Amino acid sequence: MKKTLIAAALLATASAQTANAEDIKIGVFLGFTGAIESLVADMGPAAQLAIDEVSKSGALLDGSTVTWVRGDTTCTDSAAATASAERLITSDKVHAIVGGDCSGVTTAALQNVAMPNGTVMVSPSATSPALSTIEDNGLFFRTAPSDARQGVIVSDILNEKGIKEIALTYTNNDYGKGLAESIEKNYTESGGTVTINAAHEDGKGDYSSEVAALAAAGGEVLVVAGYIDQGGKAIIQASLDTGAFDTFYLPDGMVGDSLPEALGTDLDGSYGAAPGTDSEGAGIFAEMATAGGFKAGPFTAESYDAAALIMLAMQAAGSSESSKLKEKLMDVANAPGEKILPGELAKGLKILADGGEVDYVGASAVELIGAGESAGNYRQIAIEGGKLVTTGFR
Amino acid sequence: MPETVDMLNALVLFTNFVLIPGVTYGSQLALGALGVTLIYAVLRFSNFAHGDIMAFGTMITILVTWWLQSVGVSLGPLPTALLALPFGIAATVLLCLFIDRYVYRYYRSQKSRPVTFVMASLGVMFMVNGLVRFIIGADDQRFFDGERFIIKAREFKKMTGLNEGLAIKTTQGLTVVIALVLVVFVFWFLQRTRSGKAMRAYSDNEDLSLLSGIDPDKVVRTTWIMAAALTAIAGVLYGLDKSFKPFTYFQLLLPIFAAAIVGGIGQPVGAIVGGYVIAFSEMIVTYPYKKFWNYLAPDEWQTSSLLQLLSTEYKFAVSFMILVIVLLVRPTGIFKGKVY
Amino acid sequence: MNNALRATLAFSFMALALVGVGLYQSWALSLTILNLCIISSVMALGVNIQWGYAGLFNIGIMGFAALGGAAAMLVSTPPVANAWAAGGWNILFSAVGLIATIIVATLVYKNIPKGRLRSLAMIVVLVTGYLCTRYFFDPAVSAIESTDSAKTGFLGGLGLPIILSWPVGGLFAAGAAWVIGKVVLGLRSDYLAIATLGISEIVVAMLKNEDWLTRGVKNVNGLPRPVPYELQLQQSEWFTGLVEKLYANSLAGLEGAARSTVLKDALIEASSIFVKLCYAGLFATVLLIILTLCVLALNSPWGRMMRAIRDNETAAEAMGKDVTGRHLQVFILGSAICGIAGAMLTTLDGQLTPTSYIPLRFTFLIWVMVIVGGSGNNLGSILGGFLIWFVWTEAEPAGTWLMTFLTNWMPEGNAVKDHLIQGAQHMRLFLMGFILLLVMRFAPRGILPERHAH
Repeated sequence: MKKTLIAAALLATASAQTANAEDIKIGVFLGFTGAIESLVADMGPAAQLAIDEVSKSGALLDGSTVTWVRGDTTCTDSAAATASAERLITSDKVHAIVGGDCSGVTTAALQNVAMPNGTVMVSPSATSPALSTIEDNGLFFRTAPSDARQGVIVSDILNEKGIKEIALTYTNNDYGKGLAESIEKNYTESGGTVTINAAHEDGKGDYSSEVAALAAAGGEVLVVAGYIDQGGKAIIQASLDTGAFDTFYLPDGMVGDSLPEALGTDLDGSYGAAPGTDSEGAGIFAEMATAGGFKAGPFTAESYDAAALIMLAMQAAGSSESSKLKEKLMDVANAPGEKILPGELAKGLKILADGGEVDYVGASAVELIGAGESAGNYRQIAIEGGKLVTTGFR
Repeated sequence: MPETVDMLNALVLFTNFVLIPGVTYGSQLALGALGVTLIYAVLRFSNFAHGDIMAFGTMITILVTWWLQSVGVSLGPLPTALLALPFGIAATVLLCLFIDRYVYRYYRSQKSRPVTFVMASLGVMFMVNGLVRFIIGADDQRFFDGERFIIKAREFKKMTGLNEGLAIKTTQGLTVVIALVLVVFVFWFLQRTRSGKAMRAYSDNEDLSLLSGIDPDKVVRTTWIMAAALTAIAGVLYGLDKSFKPFTYFQLLLPIFAAAIVGGIGQPVGAIVGGYVIAFSEMIVTYPYKKFWNYLAPDEWQTSSLLQLLSTEYKFAVSFMILVIVLLVRPTGIFKGKVY
Repeated sequence: MNNALRATLAFSFMALALVGVGLYQSWALSLTILNLCIISSVMALGVNIQWGYAGLFNIGIMGFAALGGAAAMLVSTPPVANAWAAGGWNILFSAVGLIATIIVATLVYKNIPKGRLRSLAMIVVLVTGYLCTRYFFDPAVSAIESTDSAKTGFLGGLGLPIILSWPVGGLFAAGAAWVIGKVVLGLRSDYLAIATLGISEIVVAMLKNEDWLTRGVKNVNGLPRPVPYELQLQQSEWFTGLVEKLYANSLAGLEGAARSTVLKDALIEASSIFVKLCYAGLFATVLLIILTLCVLALNSPWGRMMRAIRDNETAAEAMGKDVTGRHLQVFILGSAICGIAGAMLTTLDGQLTPTSYIPLRFTFLIWVMVIVGGSGNNLGSILGGFLIWFVWTEAEPAGTWLMTFLTNWMPEGNAVKDHLIQGAQHMRLFLMGFILLLVMRFAPRGILPERHAH
């Protein structure tokens, strides 16, 4: 009798699978060429890793398969990004999008394509504070924290170190500018002085004028809101060379092993913070990344989580449609519910299918607040003996 | 009256942040402008591919440097790239001769207008640019090794007891020395050798020089070889001192042209003077004099304002402004260039 | 093959390619490409006027397009009252200071005879003017930029319909062209090239750094549109009615939930296509107007004179023609058209993104369009605009595909293979240069050569 029942149950699930299973498509809409192509080279695979994991498990929506389709945002050219998003949504008919990456093209694609078509976008790396208040019909989410949050973190850390005066330089784009303004605002409000807040253009050979200006303004610490493989590193190098500054604060774009590797022990005593957690998730994800053949670099955890959240929300909504899943995305990301780590997506999907609740923790300990953006957990680092070491979490 | 220590500090500050970088950058621009001006004097067009040919020469040098480093060859305190430089020069010369053979020669035979040459050089620029990025990628490359500093800022402070440090990098020293040697060589070549004289004759009056039996093909070839060598060396020095990135080399085009035109295009002396004029004006106009002023000024005149004429974002606009002013006031440049 | 036939064939081929995209990819995508093709053609027309009619070599197209883009933003965004209150007066004062300085300097230059006195007076006037302007300007800028900097932090615009910005963009570009033309036209031909290259970089640098005016790199989003929004359409009754009629076949026989699902999809698709068609209509109208004017001008005595000047400047000058004056005229006209196209592009994007202005995309690509299409021929430029933009957008997948195909025989994980596939995108540059050189050498007159009315 028992055997018959099991057989019947199996048969029922099997038939259910064939009845409702569909081929779900998710767009991976990142800047595969252009300004941040070196970061995207790892972010793309990270998002695809989550998608493949779910597809193989067969646990999503009665055994649906999930495939990814890539689209290039170019990071800067909004016309090209719009065309690419148009192709993803209207031609490839993706159900939701992981992306975009840079804030400018993300806004263009959201307003010109995703909103008219009612498609959900979950960005892993657009950090502009402006995106918090943008009109989005509830379609836009991000697993990256807003720069407004990082400004508070930077100000706190500087104050704890007893720094009274800083010089500030930023990469001249919406990321750098937004972050610099946020830092200046928070730090000044907490009583500190910003002697200079100057832009630097990425991709130049010579930063001696910029460093001369920063040095002339002076300050105990130079905050470099730039990119590690771009002007940011060159600014630090030139500052060290000319003796303009000895200590640097490194925001998220500057935290990476390649910096102390390139500059050696000269950098000792500098510190900073980048999104990250001490959760198990980050460690598990790093292993998965190595196995998957890519680096767990900046924004890769967020990319994985963005894709995972979309699929969990689909399961919770019982539909692959953006209009339905957008209602559930915040629910699956936040408590209450069973905690879900990277690599456990199938488990999460199953709990949801059985009517339970999940609290997706993922690789970046994601917690969505406000209009659907990450609350932001930061890992504090310092450079000691020419090595990057973690000194705490906040 | 400020104290002597303060005056020394101000002096060191200015030397460290304006004088030394200015001389280095000026030498790099001068070498680039010298190449542009030679092409202009003999072939009579502005070569827009110049920046990207610089990048090409540097790329070859970098590749050879990496190979030398991998087999363990080094020059001790000097960068290994100096050993690889002849390969870079050779490759650049070959590339230039190849381009001339398959692109510019046709237009010469057609007696096309200069603007057609400029347009063709734009096409060449595209191709070389694509080629360089295709081979080495669009990213930053560093290929410097050896001793980084002649004088370190911290050591200088300890040595002199001054507040301000002074640093001179090996590459800065190298740039200035090599530039000096090259400039002397170019002048000797143009004034004293037979080929150099032929080049000048051809440049001054093409028809007359042909009448007197000068082989135009040979003149063109010599010019390309000289220009290519200068270009490759300028590119490598720039890359050693700063870093190599294809896009940066493209952006060097504007200051290099400005230098050549300001000095008087077609005039080797002008190119060199123009290089330093552009470099120093960029540095002087965008430097904030706050610290400098505060060292010299009496206490009651101390300021918290930056005392900056123009913010550094507009640095490259300076070379453009100077260019416009020169064109308005003295269209032929400081040393009366050629205007065809 | 005569020119009319050639043109018909070439344009039919383009139409076929766009229809192909519509059928095999999607109509919305096809229309997106079409809209950008039209804008590119307008830019190419502007360049063609300068190069094809007069032989002027302008490599600062990016700057003129960026000025147009700035115009679109400045005309259409509503003014930010708080920012005006914070620093509006000081900005106005500094503008007055700047203008006064220029006027006084001009007077001094004209009225004092050349000599040491004039130089000294000029320096005094300029320095005082500079200090006065900075005195008002600096506090104004910091006041404006700190008013709610995450959302606004700039003065905003005039809040007028964005379509007005198209002629305004043209005017902005024309103004810049006038200044450059005054300085460099009449000197050597390649000085114009260098000057335009420089000014275009400066314009973009100003857009990036003058936050009080343009919000800089923080971009201005959500510019109002000249056409309806998709969401409004999807909710409006008349549009739903229209879609019900158009999709009557697929809706037939459906009831309840099934019907509303199909209808919803149809509404989304139709609204997106409708909006793009509206844009296409507007852009095509501008293109046709400019084309008509160009053709009329080219065939007028003015056009004949321009070509005469282009073909033999010395002879034209000997005939008493004011070569520099004509050149200035044509340079301003061409640049204005580029400015209009720039404003149209920003309108289509719905946002001003200063970082997106890169010379490769906005200057050199347009040049390839003009040369390949056929310099001197207006239809040729339009064809070039369509063809090259189409190739440019579709080249990205094609390049990767080609490299993958070519390296198919190499083993998986081979370093050379990976490098080739990774580098495929850079081949786009190489290819563009190659096409340019090939056309210049073997078909210097382009696909649709200039007609000679002998």
